[in-house]
Amino acid sequence: MVLALRNREKIAADALYDMYSGSLFGVISRIIADTSVAEDVLQETFIKIWNSFSGYSAEKGRLFTWMVNIARNLAIDKIRSKDFKNQNKNHELENNVTFIDEQRNTVYKPELLGVKELIDKLKPEQKIILDLVYFKGYTHVEAAEELDVPLGTVKTRLRMAIIQLRRYFN
Amino acid sequence: MEDVKAYIETGILELYVLGDISPEEKTQVEEMASKYPEIRTEIAAIEKGLEAYALDNAVEPGEQLRDKVLNSLLTSFADDNKFPTREFLENDFDDEADEPANVVALNAKSNNFYKYAFAACLAALIASLAALYSLNERLNDSYGQIASLQSRNQTFANRVNYMQGEINIFHDTSYKMIHLQGTPKSPAAKMTVAWNPAKKKVMVDMQDMKLAANDDAHQYQLWAIVDGKPVDLGVFDAKADSTGMIEMNNVGNAAAFAVTLEKRGGVPSPTMSQMVAMASI
Repeated sequence: MVLALRNREKIAADALYDMYSGSLFGVISRIIADTSVAEDVLQETFIKIWNSFSGYSAEKGRLFTWMVNIARNLAIDKIRSKDFKNQNKNHELENNVTFIDEQRNTVYKPELLGVKELIDKLKPEQKIILDLVYFKGYTHVEAAEELDVPLGTVKTRLRMAIIQLRRYFN
Repeated sequence: MEDVKAYIETGILELYVLGDISPEEKTQVEEMASKYPEIRTEIAAIEKGLEAYALDNAVEPGEQLRDKVLNSLLTSFADDNKFPTREFLENDFDDEADEPANVVALNAKSNNFYKYAFAACLAALIASLAALYSLNERLNDSYGQIASLQSRNQTFANRVNYMQGEINIFHDTSYKMIHLQGTPKSPAAKMTVAWNPAKKKVMVDMQDMKLAANDDAHQYQLWAIVDGKPVDLGVFDAKADSTGMIEMNNVGNAAAFAVTLEKRGGVPSPTMSQMVAMASI
């Protein structure tokens, strides 16, 4: 896969999209409520992944980690950009969350039923922090401020949440 | 080993994977990872956990987006063949995730913008120069026309002034029109002298003059007969195309006017044999 991407084969582009568009769009659409804007950002993300692929090194980590960072940064850049702020002045964060949760219900992935159970086992305070940092692009410092808990606590909960996830997958 | 475990438990590896870490810390984590396999394993486990979590939270984008995205990749694929990006993207992952790629993209855009802006400026400049040149040509033409109109206007004004003067003379009843007739020596000779005895002014009408053209060595000389003696009134040339009136010397009291052909510059007393025209008052 990585090799095919490096060689810029069309089949690699297809595979890349089919494997990761959902996961990446999940992150992007949690940051950007407007579906069409979120889709634009997803497109930008794939273009960027495609064009800067030579910058990815397998030694530094997994491909998805690299891609999700690109997607998250692009999405955050977008919502911080001026024109986006202007056209979305009235969107509230709460609406955004509700909107996403509604949208999520329409996604059905049988192979993930087990995971759903696990996610439910995440303690709410762990899940909130993980979602803020992973899906909303908060830094752990911002998350600590938002939730009014000490920085150390945020780090611990984050770590515990991820350990929960790992227990299931590894 | 204890150190490594403690390091892992600080939670910094999670932040590293989440991209929520300063460049210095990032370098530090990468150094540690290259030294201790346990840390590498830990990072990989964190990544897998998060990846699975993302997959669980996946949201499928619209169906139509797939073609759109893949087409745009193929388009950029074509572009990339022309402009290899490898060189400046080589170090992307060393720095903060995708920051450098981001910077490159912006630079490319603004470079393009300046390229187009420069081209537009150049085109505008060339167009302006062409317009300036053609305007300048037309301005010069206009200047030429104005100059020629002015000179014609001047000629006209002179002529009008002049004719006004002539008309005044003809209308002025104090002027007497003296018609000189040819002598037997030159019967065809004929000329008119306007004379104002009160103002003592004498004018010769060059237009209404029929005298043989004089050569360079000779000139006609006008005389007035005052108390039986000839008085010099000045010399003039007769040419076929002479126009207007010329003013001669003053005389207030004349019994007759006569014209003789003399050597150029005139003579003190007339050569009677050379008299061509005369008239008595």
